[in-house]
Amino acid sequence: MATLSIKDVRKAYGSVQVLHGVDIELEDGGFLVLLGPSGCGKSTLLNMIAGLDDTSGGDILIGGRSVVDLAPKDRNIAMVFQSYALYPTMSVARNIGFGLERRGVDADKRKRAVEDAARLLQISHLLDRRPANLSGGQRQRVAMGRAIVRDPELFLFDEPLSNLDAKLRVEMRTEIKRLHERLGTSIVYVTHDQIEAMTLGTKVAVMKGGYIQQLADPRTIYERPANMFVASFIGSPAMNFLPGRLVRNADCVRFEASGVSMAMLASNPAEVSERPVVLGIRPEELKVAARDQASVTGMIDVVEPTGPETMVTVQVGERSVTARVPPRFAGQRNEAIFLTVDPVSINLFDPDTEQRIDI
Amino acid sequence: MTSSASRYLPFRALGELSETRYWMYLLLLPSLVLILLVIAYPTLYGMAISFREMRLTRPGLDGWVGFKHYAAMWSDPVFWIALKNTVVWVTAAVVLELALGLLTATALNRDLPGTKIFAVLILLPYFLPNVVAGHMWALLLDPRLGVINDILVRVGVLQTYKAWFADPNAALAATILVEAWHGFPFFALLLLAGLKSIPEDLYKAAAVDGAGVAAQLRLITLPMLKTVIAAAVILRVISLVNSPDLLLILTGGGPGDATQVLSLYAFQTAYKEFNFGYASALSVVMFVILMIFAVAYIRMSRITKE
Amino acid sequence: MIESKRHRRMIANIATYIVLVSLSIFCIGPMIWMFLTSIKYEADIVTQTMQYMPSRITFDNYVAIWTQSGFPLLIGNSLVVTLLTVTICVVTGTLAAYAFSRFAFRGRDQLMLGYLVVRMFPAVMMIIPLYVVMRGVGLVDSRFGLALAYTSFLLPLFVWMLKGFFDSAPKELESAARIDGSTRLGAMIRIVVPLARNGLVASSVFIAIAAWNEFLFALMLTTGQGSRTWPVGLQLMVGEFQLPWGVLAAGGILSIVPVIVLFAIVQRTMVQGLTAGAVKG
Repeated sequence: MATLSIKDVRKAYGSVQVLHGVDIELEDGGFLVLLGPSGCGKSTLLNMIAGLDDTSGGDILIGGRSVVDLAPKDRNIAMVFQSYALYPTMSVARNIGFGLERRGVDADKRKRAVEDAARLLQISHLLDRRPANLSGGQRQRVAMGRAIVRDPELFLFDEPLSNLDAKLRVEMRTEIKRLHERLGTSIVYVTHDQIEAMTLGTKVAVMKGGYIQQLADPRTIYERPANMFVASFIGSPAMNFLPGRLVRNADCVRFEASGVSMAMLASNPAEVSERPVVLGIRPEELKVAARDQASVTGMIDVVEPTGPETMVTVQVGERSVTARVPPRFAGQRNEAIFLTVDPVSINLFDPDTEQRIDI
Repeated sequence: MTSSASRYLPFRALGELSETRYWMYLLLLPSLVLILLVIAYPTLYGMAISFREMRLTRPGLDGWVGFKHYAAMWSDPVFWIALKNTVVWVTAAVVLELALGLLTATALNRDLPGTKIFAVLILLPYFLPNVVAGHMWALLLDPRLGVINDILVRVGVLQTYKAWFADPNAALAATILVEAWHGFPFFALLLLAGLKSIPEDLYKAAAVDGAGVAAQLRLITLPMLKTVIAAAVILRVISLVNSPDLLLILTGGGPGDATQVLSLYAFQTAYKEFNFGYASALSVVMFVILMIFAVAYIRMSRITKE
Repeated sequence: MIESKRHRRMIANIATYIVLVSLSIFCIGPMIWMFLTSIKYEADIVTQTMQYMPSRITFDNYVAIWTQSGFPLLIGNSLVVTLLTVTICVVTGTLAAYAFSRFAFRGRDQLMLGYLVVRMFPAVMMIIPLYVVMRGVGLVDSRFGLALAYTSFLLPLFVWMLKGFFDSAPKELESAARIDGSTRLGAMIRIVVPLARNGLVASSVFIAIAAWNEFLFALMLTTGQGSRTWPVGLQLMVGEFQLPWGVLAAGGILSIVPVIVLFAIVQRTMVQGLTAGAVKG
């Protein structure tokens, strides 16, 4: 168990800068998720924490100790790989115990540790098999067994669930969360799946283009995204964006756009200047209402019932927005629809910088 | 850390070294030194020799002579004959090998039961030594005892036994046949791999779209094989131009200079006359011609790809 | 319609078998003829009417080539040269192939291409300076010198081929081993090399066959019995004492037996290694 500090870490291949001064602090026992599209630098960052890639600048501390000059084997970490990376020539038991074997732990102790880990992951019956004879989910468990048996200071996960089918993925996600709560070891977890990030992380770093876009707990990331990229990357269906203007009359601030007119909550309305903005609304915050209460008016385009809820695509002015409405929605294509939004739940962004605006 | 690890101390030190950033260079070092020693230095030296007089038979003659050898080449009739023969010989052999290779690969790619063994049998000639291949074919084509003569007379193609390597035209044709026998398995091998890498779905889509066998060959197979064909042709041309082995064994360049090619001429100039200067100049010219061919060919096959 | 389609397929299948059988005869026929010649009496070879299947069998030709011409010595020299070549290539080439496969460094692609361009150098262009240089350091007519000369064209081939095999050994396995407590060297020896074992063997066999068969360098760089390899010896025998066909054929068969055996053992992996580069590139 240890804290992790990443201080102004940079990475360049030749003249190509792939990470620009990343700073992250992770508390002891925390669960850090590095989230972002492919090529955002999240795997590079993870490999640098592991020592598999060199840093081009900055410092990485695990438990207060700088590790940038240490070989991977000396960093006291364990890692679970996307392809599981099980040694094909060794039995499951030897795979799990290999780290202890390399560190010279004697055979009896090793056997006990392997058996404990196997019991924890419910793979005791597989210990004599070869990796080639295991299913995807079983391999995943073996890979995790190999990591926990070492009792390291830090676990690293590199997209561990992306090779599993949808059902198993959910199951293993729960398993990882249970393990984390049980073992209490700090974890760094790389994924491009926003659901994994939301469900697992105590801290989420959303990355793009080698920069950290936002570093916060999942709730803040979801409710108060730092910019339009974070807002659109988290949540499915994605947040609706409506370009328009902030208008002020007396001490009341309103948002106006084609088909949209609604009052804004401002901490100090007198200081808000009139300007173009982008309004961001989560689909579940759009609620069907009567015509006279409507702040958003549009035409129904597509109705998609999914069972527990129904997605309605609505044409608002020149924009298309998605609303998540109750399952028994009765509207038809080309009918007018009236929606309200709780002003507490909205986000405003600058149309040029795409950064969040708070009023 | 552990008793077993500390026993192999040098290995452990090397292990620690492998975690430093010098490791990569240490890995490359031995082969680079070797290559500098046995390739780079001799190559540069060889180019230098082509501007010098160096005859082991007449040690007194030594020193720089500038472009003398290249000038001599210009007015050397044997050089021009050898150049012409090289072009004819290499072109004919490669075309023949490509055709045979494509035929073999297509047949093997149908994956009919029991055809795996043919793939192994057909590949064998490629691994046969030149010396054995040469003498074997000399035996087969022998003017008195050759079984090929016998067969051809029996089926009525020939009236009497033919002395294949005595007639200038027949000699060139015969050596091309032998070279094709030796080299076509290589084409078959690469083309088969190329065919296997074409997704089955493409053919299904084409069939659904109404493309016949000929159209499939023209629209899918050949374009998809283009890179493989280009690579195979380049590699084969290089090795054909550079290795005079088979000709040295079969004909020694004769009759007259009918099968004299550049590489053989250069080798004989070096090996029989010990005229290293002129031989080096010949091989430098060969190398330049190959380079021009390779660059032009790669560029051409790139352009047509786009 | 269905009937005619089945009909067409059958014709195509028959044609395929005919093509494959004829090509196999074209490829193997000459070797079989050489074998038949090697077990005939000389009188049955030099006859008025061609004798296809030998009417009587003899192994005199094999005895003759083995006992009367110093052939064992030639074979021994070839073995030594081949083993030396393979050793040099395996030791230096494995390290280089591993570096090419695992490290991204500036100039890697150029260096790899350089290894390939080397193949374009005419053998003669290399042979002359190698002869001069090796005469200078006393390596002409030495088996080690010849092996060194062979590495000039076999080492690049070996590196290319082996790199392909290393590339197909997953990088993550090595990372896992390094995190589990191995050094890079340890991970390479314990994890990567065992995974690429078949490829290593196939690449080694490939260059072993090439070294065993090589003729031109050997002809130029060996002058005496001490280092002469079998291809040169066989060729000189033909020139010097009008070797009878049967004996020559026996010599040929003896010297290709190791090639065929080695090829048969590793042909699948070797084919894979030979084709990987061309299809990818």
